[in-house]
Amino acid sequence: MTLHGALTIILNIKPGMKPQLAGKLQAIDNDVNNNSVIPFSKIGSIHFARFVLCDGDPTVPGPPILDRLVFTTNYDLPLDSHINDLLQNAGRGLWDIFSMCDDFISGTYDADKLAAFLRANDNKPATFYVGVGNRSVSLIRQENLLRNEVETYLDANRNSLANKSATDIRAAIVDHVFSQPGFEWTKTPEPGATANWELSRDLKLAGIILLLLLFSPIVIPFVIIWWLMMWCIEMSEKDVHCPLDYDHIRPLIERETAIVQTQFSAVGVVKPGWVRYQTMMFLLRMTDFLAPYLFTKGRLSGIPTVHFARWLIVSEGRQMIFLSNFDGNSEGYLRDFINIAAKQLTLMFTHTVGYPKTRLMLLGGAKDAKGFMEWARAKQVITNVWYSANPGVSVKNIFNNANIRNGLYGNMSENEARKWLKLL
Amino acid sequence: MEQIELKDVQGLIIRGYSGLRSAYFVLAKITDAGRFKIWLGHHVHEFTPGDIRPKSTAINIAFTFSGLKVMGLNQGNLGTFPLEFADGMTAPYKQAMLGDFGNSDPANWEWGQKADDNTHILLMLYAVDADSLNSLYTGLKEQMDTNGFTEWRLMDTTELIKRKEHFGFHDGIAQPTIKGLNRSDDDSNCVAAGEFILGYKNEYEQDNYSPMVDAGMDKANVLPASTQAPGMKDLGKNGTYLVFRQLEQDVEGFWKYMESKTLAPDGNCDTQQMIGLASKVVGRWPSGTPVVLAPEKDIPELDDKNKFEYRNSDSDGLKCPFAAHIRRTNPRDSIDTAKSTSIQIVKRHRVLRRGRSYGPPVATSMEPMDIINASDKSGKRGLHFICINTNLALQFEFIQNFWVNNPKFGGLYDERDPLIGNDSNPQETRRTGTFSVEEDLVRKRFTDVPEFVTVKGGAYFFLPGIKALTFLASI
Repeated sequence: MTLHGALTIILNIKPGMKPQLAGKLQAIDNDVNNNSVIPFSKIGSIHFARFVLCDGDPTVPGPPILDRLVFTTNYDLPLDSHINDLLQNAGRGLWDIFSMCDDFISGTYDADKLAAFLRANDNKPATFYVGVGNRSVSLIRQENLLRNEVETYLDANRNSLANKSATDIRAAIVDHVFSQPGFEWTKTPEPGATANWELSRDLKLAGIILLLLLFSPIVIPFVIIWWLMMWCIEMSEKDVHCPLDYDHIRPLIERETAIVQTQFSAVGVVKPGWVRYQTMMFLLRMTDFLAPYLFTKGRLSGIPTVHFARWLIVSEGRQMIFLSNFDGNSEGYLRDFINIAAKQLTLMFTHTVGYPKTRLMLLGGAKDAKGFMEWARAKQVITNVWYSANPGVSVKNIFNNANIRNGLYGNMSENEARKWLKLL
Repeated sequence: MEQIELKDVQGLIIRGYSGLRSAYFVLAKITDAGRFKIWLGHHVHEFTPGDIRPKSTAINIAFTFSGLKVMGLNQGNLGTFPLEFADGMTAPYKQAMLGDFGNSDPANWEWGQKADDNTHILLMLYAVDADSLNSLYTGLKEQMDTNGFTEWRLMDTTELIKRKEHFGFHDGIAQPTIKGLNRSDDDSNCVAAGEFILGYKNEYEQDNYSPMVDAGMDKANVLPASTQAPGMKDLGKNGTYLVFRQLEQDVEGFWKYMESKTLAPDGNCDTQQMIGLASKVVGRWPSGTPVVLAPEKDIPELDDKNKFEYRNSDSDGLKCPFAAHIRRTNPRDSIDTAKSTSIQIVKRHRVLRRGRSYGPPVATSMEPMDIINASDKSGKRGLHFICINTNLALQFEFIQNFWVNNPKFGGLYDERDPLIGNDSNPQETRRTGTFSVEEDLVRKRFTDVPEFVTVKGGAYFFLPGIKALTFLASI
């Protein structure tokens, strides 16, 4: 079992350095796997990574928000090994890039300092969603290879298998896989979560529910009053329209050339007010807490395509950054938001300026498909560098591959074997 | 219920003119906008509206983005057209979206490439027979050159009997029914008028973006006020977007492939097996009967060939393969979410199809047996695919991108539409398609599916309402 982390480094770009930095990032993106600066494919702990240049926003009240560089990874825990992995393969590259930013260590490359810097400057997301289950980068890759191997075997042996029973066919597949060089790892099942881990996870949830029940006489009226307060705030807020700007949208969709997966990066401004801020943080953190219980099996509120997503609240609570990696393209992804998960996602996004008007944070919102699309596109920013370790595998593939692999062990009845063969 | 202004809608939206069996599609360039506009103004009422069912002839007209530019719309007004229409079918980023790689690469097209600026207007001429079509065409042609527009490509059509397309399959069965036309149909197939005609509510209960012009430009005062922006007039009202794709069909290659995959052990070909496999590719038998309702053999007499679902009757794809053409171009209730949500999602991505075949049939009977046995299958033939939608990105482009050419469609791994998908993306090493036919225990998988359909040309057009035509003539 592997759990995941979401590393986020956000730095102000040194004045005047942005064009140079953009050029450097473009060079990385041109050969994202093997470039000499950050050869991502060598960094085995990364599922997805990206660099995003965020323009400063002078319209937000408070201390000026300057041009920033955002660097993120979705990695296999523990963080220490991930940082070692980064340093070993791309330490100097990261150093060079971060050197174009303020508040970075000055001087010549020092691995220890960089490691300490990464640890100290990691921004914890308010919500982190994992859609790939408890699987490591290499497990996802290996199980996909396993599936391909079995399919090829079936192609070649279909005729000789045709008249056999489901259990016999399965046995033949298992024999083949176990005897195949390179697939020795399949002989033992992938260790799942330990009973202790599961128990402590479930106890956490049970504890929270118990507390809520205990304090329900206080909690329920409090929530109702708070919710009504939000309703008043919603009614008092002016509707902000996000006009469509083709010159903004075109370069975003022009970058969507990968066949299977793509990315989405967006930066929004949080609506002002203490109540609004507290509500947003509560909802985001609640989702963060509940996601591992509610959104298992690779479905974010029913959307079956999201590998990883994170919500970050930055700039002293004035901005929301949303980053995700998913199957398909952004048009279809945003449509899934509207068609499948409008209410749940509205609860999380309604706190940003320009989001279509909501009532009680649930009604309206993404139901206004046009308004939602205009908002999403207006807030979307270019992802300057984007890397995916398993670019040809969809979320559904990941789960199907795991089911294929898990079916290699133990005995099955004819019916069970029949069901298992349907995965192929 | 909104009343559709049929008088102001060009007839092709409302009907496919199936009684008018002969048709020409004329691509023309506007050489003198001033003269053309005068001509257009005089002839506006000859363009067939939606409120009459023409008995002998019909004619409709559509404009490309560059055509509208030539007509004199200013930059600001042109900017109110959607990005998809402005950038057209051949912008580089559309290649991946639409699957136009390899032989279908716009660089190889006969018409419609980015550099080609000859396609300003599309004239669609329909007549009850070849003679009346020719006189309609001759009459138009005589007026052309002296009135500021000139034909540069004439596209003939062929009526194949029994509503077949060239491979031998009944085509055009699953058409959505436009709500508000008093036509009765199953609710799952009734789609809001706004999905096909601008100015009406779509399946999101919203108005689609409609192009606008400055009110001051509408000197003739024919356009309605825009509901989107004050001081603007609605140019899109009762108009829509028309997608034209010239799709060449390799009939010989199609049936040869089916033969090679179904040879009996003694090396003989088994035509029933060939037709069976081809029907799995399409998802329908040659008669149009869906394989979901007739998994073993064709039932041509089946009455309603459009009334079926996948979820309960074929959840494992044993009857209709998951990757089959019609299961992806119209997934009905099979999208991986609640059944009613799936049906609702699909309604937001439908198109009206108005295409016509071209080129000589391999066998006039259009029976697959005769097509297979015909000794000469040479010659150019295909489909002038035409579809109508108000949101190119969400309808035509979405179907192409998300359903037809998405290798992960419905949980699959690397299978595109076996009939019209494109497997020539340079990022992939393989140049053939994969197609799995689910079977009881071990699926059959074909990994060498060649390209049966090649794009030879195409463009996006704006099909204005009749009043909008009057306006265009007046600027």
